[in-house]
Amino acid sequence: MSLRRVIATLRRLVQELHRDRRSMALLFVAPVVLTGLMAFVLRGQQLTPVSAVVVNEAGPVGNVIVGALDGALRTDGGTAVGAPDRVGAEAAVRSGTASIAIIVPSDFVARLTGGDQPNLVVITPGLEPTADSSQLVALQRALATAVAQSLPDAGARLPRLTVETLYGSPDDDVVDHLAPVFLGFFAYFFVYILTGISFLRERIGGTLERLLATPVSRGEIVLGYSLGFGLFATIQVVVLLAWTLLDLAIPAVGPVPAFSVGLAVPVAGSPFLAFLVVMLLALGAVSLGILLSTFARTELQVVQFIPLVIVPQALLSGVLFPVNSMPEILQAIARVLPLTYATDGLRQVVIRGADLTYGALQLDLLVLAAFVAVFAVLASATIRREVV
Amino acid sequence: MQASAQSLAPAVQAVDLRKSFGDLHAVDGVSFALPAGRIYGLLGPNGSGKTTLIRMLTGLGRPTSGVATVLGVAMPSRSNLARIGYMTQSDGIYSELTAVENVRFFAAMYGVRDSAAAEAALAVVDLAGRAGTLASQLSGGLRRRLSLACALVHRPPVLFLDEPTVGVDPALRVQFWTYFHELARDGVTIVVSSHVMDEADRCDELLFMRDGRVIAQGTSEELRARAGTQDLEAAFLHFSVDREPAT
Repeated sequence: MSLRRVIATLRRLVQELHRDRRSMALLFVAPVVLTGLMAFVLRGQQLTPVSAVVVNEAGPVGNVIVGALDGALRTDGGTAVGAPDRVGAEAAVRSGTASIAIIVPSDFVARLTGGDQPNLVVITPGLEPTADSSQLVALQRALATAVAQSLPDAGARLPRLTVETLYGSPDDDVVDHLAPVFLGFFAYFFVYILTGISFLRERIGGTLERLLATPVSRGEIVLGYSLGFGLFATIQVVVLLAWTLLDLAIPAVGPVPAFSVGLAVPVAGSPFLAFLVVMLLALGAVSLGILLSTFARTELQVVQFIPLVIVPQALLSGVLFPVNSMPEILQAIARVLPLTYATDGLRQVVIRGADLTYGALQLDLLVLAAFVAVFAVLASATIRREVV
Repeated sequence: MQASAQSLAPAVQAVDLRKSFGDLHAVDGVSFALPAGRIYGLLGPNGSGKTTLIRMLTGLGRPTSGVATVLGVAMPSRSNLARIGYMTQSDGIYSELTAVENVRFFAAMYGVRDSAAAEAALAVVDLAGRAGTLASQLSGGLRRRLSLACALVHRPPVLFLDEPTVGVDPALRVQFWTYFHELARDGVTIVVSSHVMDEADRCDELLFMRDGRVIAQGTSEELRARAGTQDLEAAFLHFSVDREPAT
């Protein structure tokens, strides 16, 4: 073994790499920026104040508790207001004027004085589990204060919370909430990679030069690419959607125990609408891939865009952390990311059961369509006949 | 293909074409008028501006100043590209497609409706027998032939060939020149760039390029006579030193 050759290899690598600015940035700058961003998202999470609507079925004592709860919530910027009945309270949560509904049952006082643990019914929206649980934590804290204040002789016995959700079911697990959103994310991600690399090959392989020496227009190229990769995105989304929603029971055969195929995620709305949301996102990803291939010279560089372009979107667009609880500045960024609207759209359809009459879903679809158009125009602009 | 009708007006014309990249004047004031139906050899060393000039003539590059005209239409013109064939220096073919799929694709891009055009173009370059072979499995020489077929499929009256014979073995080179002469006989105007002088004698007319300028233009015999030498390479050097303006 020759030490000289080993050292020559080492030196060559250092020479090569330190001239490759992009790889250097990826090695040292990207991890700092990404973990910084993640810390900002996590530490900057603001607790959205609890605005509760309370249905009091427990008479005057209940009113005292509601009043004390209102006082306790107000110290954190929240409120508790009365509602005549459960239907009215649910309507308030559904329309977004209240973040949570509470029902104080008629046996509340009897249980409290009788030494039993009293019970409260809490109704959350159930769209974003993380947002809901932070609401519940804040509510529990306020309840502790309120109970101690209004019924000092109750021995600070905290009421038990029976949680119900407006959409989905409180039994939904993490997969039920994440799978539909990941569906959009994966389609976005893979279509971007495929288009980026495939278009880069056109650029560096000389076929784009040759293509531009024909009477083809840039719009024709982008539209052709969109249809081509749109076709593959369609197949991918159909497969993923089927896998997500499917719950195919396979009976036990001999030594093989019974099992089920698919993630068995319940879908409240139409799978076709979910498909529409993902398709619009995937079409945007085609143009994004063409756009970013302009800034890459090698296939590796297309992959290098993942931590710079794709990962921040996963952090900011509500896939993992609710957008509403992020710091203001990050919320502003989230509002210009297509993935934010696809994530919300998928939640609206799959969990909330939204159809085309829902304003929130209309907005999501409209914004996604606008992104497709804007990205397509930008992508066409990068396909110039003039390439040096 | 266009024939005598075009032969009066120049098929390819350049009027004081210039292209600068910052301080570098890649093409530095080139003017010529090339009548149709002949083979023009653009000769010069690497970096003399041949490719930049061809890219402006095909409308792929926008000149810093000056005008390029092909068949009477100022370039860049997207519709005029249907009448121009361009064989790039790199093969510019899709490796995952078969030979005939490549040609069919470019036929569609050029707006060719004749479904037999792709097979015909492959036949011209003697590739009909390999129509179903993946381009990635073709040898370098066969890939050059396929690249030429893609540039010919729409039967263009003007053909630009950027170093078509680079990396091509002598037998195939002879074959290529046979194709080119057949095409020229049919009235096709061919502009072929090369940095190899021994191909020059196969052209009807030569344009010597150096440092972004055309330093001499004429037939091989004319240029040699003017330089007072039998050797074309020596003639090129003669004009390089003299910096004689093109005639």
